[in-house]
Amino acid sequence: MSTGVTDPTTAAAPSQRTGDRVRAIAWQVVRKGWFIALLIFLWWLVTAAGWVDPYKLPSPGTVFSTLGTLFTERALLDDLGATLLRLVEGWAIGVAAGVFLGILTGGTAFLEDGIRPVIAGLQSVPTIAFLPLAILWFGFNGTAVLVITAFGTFKPMAIATYGAMHQVNPTLMMAGRAMGARGLFLQRTLIFPAIVPNLVTGLKMSWAFAWRALMAAEIVVTGAQGLGGVLELGREIGAIDVVMAVIIVILVVGLVTEQLLFTRLERWVNRRWGLEGAR
Amino acid sequence: MAAALRVLDVTKTYARSDMPALAPTSFEVQPGEFVSLVGPSGCGKSTLLGMIAGLLAPDTGIVEALGEPVTGPGDGRAIVFQDAALFPWLTLERNVEYGLRAHGMPKAERREKVADALRMVHLDHVAGKHPYELSGGMRQRASIARALVLEPQILLMDEPFSALDAQTRVVLQDEVQRIWLETQPAVVFVTHNLIEAAFLSDTVHLLSSSPGRIIKTYDIDIPRPRDESDPALLDLRHDMLERLRAEVDDAARRRAEIAEVTL
Repeated sequence: MSTGVTDPTTAAAPSQRTGDRVRAIAWQVVRKGWFIALLIFLWWLVTAAGWVDPYKLPSPGTVFSTLGTLFTERALLDDLGATLLRLVEGWAIGVAAGVFLGILTGGTAFLEDGIRPVIAGLQSVPTIAFLPLAILWFGFNGTAVLVITAFGTFKPMAIATYGAMHQVNPTLMMAGRAMGARGLFLQRTLIFPAIVPNLVTGLKMSWAFAWRALMAAEIVVTGAQGLGGVLELGREIGAIDVVMAVIIVILVVGLVTEQLLFTRLERWVNRRWGLEGAR
Repeated sequence: MAAALRVLDVTKTYARSDMPALAPTSFEVQPGEFVSLVGPSGCGKSTLLGMIAGLLAPDTGIVEALGEPVTGPGDGRAIVFQDAALFPWLTLERNVEYGLRAHGMPKAERREKVADALRMVHLDHVAGKHPYELSGGMRQRASIARALVLEPQILLMDEPFSALDAQTRVVLQDEVQRIWLETQPAVVFVTHNLIEAAFLSDTVHLLSSSPGRIIKTYDIDIPRPRDESDPALLDLRHDMLERLRAEVDDAARRRAEIAEVTL
């Protein structure tokens, strides 16, 4: 008779283990997807039953087929490309500026005392409020949108960076100094690597800010090619299916980049930096 | 022979405290001598070590290392911290190499020294691993290798084994004895473990708190390598305990007297 203490991972046949895996994944899909499915069902129900005007709310079928048409005609693909390019450019500029200023202020008390309250003040203003100013300075074009995106990235990135500079483990600093690390060498080999986990969190946060600022700016500055422009055009011509299709694209882009890309990067860095379980 | 380390009437009082963390304290460490500072929490032993390391400045008094006054962390002194304090983003090898890089040693020379140091603590087989992949004992070995690679004349150890389990601790105590016998640096070893201090040291300074000060010094001339279960060590431990107990009673009595006065 079996004692019942056999390790299930070694005892189970390989095919059975694969079956368990498939079942586990299916269960995850159900757990995380049931509410979305319910929403789409309700959406379909109210449109199919004719309870709402189709010009106010088209059916899921119409929206998804519009989405398909927009993509196959490539027009939306070009807009998506333009938007993503602008996002990456603006974000990269903002990150570089934010990290630079963050390290500068985090390392010098005099600079920090003066600059930190200003950035904190700017961060309390929604980035989009600066768009009219950007339009006056740079024109009603893509440059203004890019500047707003970079600015929306810069503020949280600078705040995350100088915050991180103050959280470097003091024992590590002592260890580094005791081994003879000084000045730039200390900055480059100890402080900078030590703040990487916080920087990655800053990258994720600033990406989210950049994405929101970019969308808001693109809706206003319609001359520039991009998803925001399509959204505004859809409103002008009353094509509500186009508007909803673009919203879905925006949602998917945000979800994929923030959740998949950055959350994975964050997890990898935390593991590598030995922070797993510490947060 | 000139002392490797000379501590002369150093004191330290921390802000927000009216009692000095350390009353005027003096002692010397000879080249190659193993000295322990042992006592309860708050007796100033880690403060003392921080000042020797050059990470803390004494309020008064002087610390001299290798004939020079200590003004900051410096050559010839290496320190091992309680929680290993390895850089988590570097492999063990790179961690051990760090101090040599900071000193601008060429790469080829570094590699050889790092390999030697890792062999010394039996970690050559995990040189490429990151600290998070290792046990607490292995991390502490690595941090010892990181100090040894600098070939210090003075090795400072701040409760290096207090975060480890009892078995690992005993193994590492043996290792430290062996490494010290092979490399012969002067060692200042801080611990609250009496038997550990007695086992490892040539000289033990017993400290007490409020204010922190040395209350008794033991010279231990049991031949090496020593055995942890040597009855002579147990006698020493017993004596140190008695001294500390008398101190605690005194302190309690003093506090009681003050309380009566203020009533």
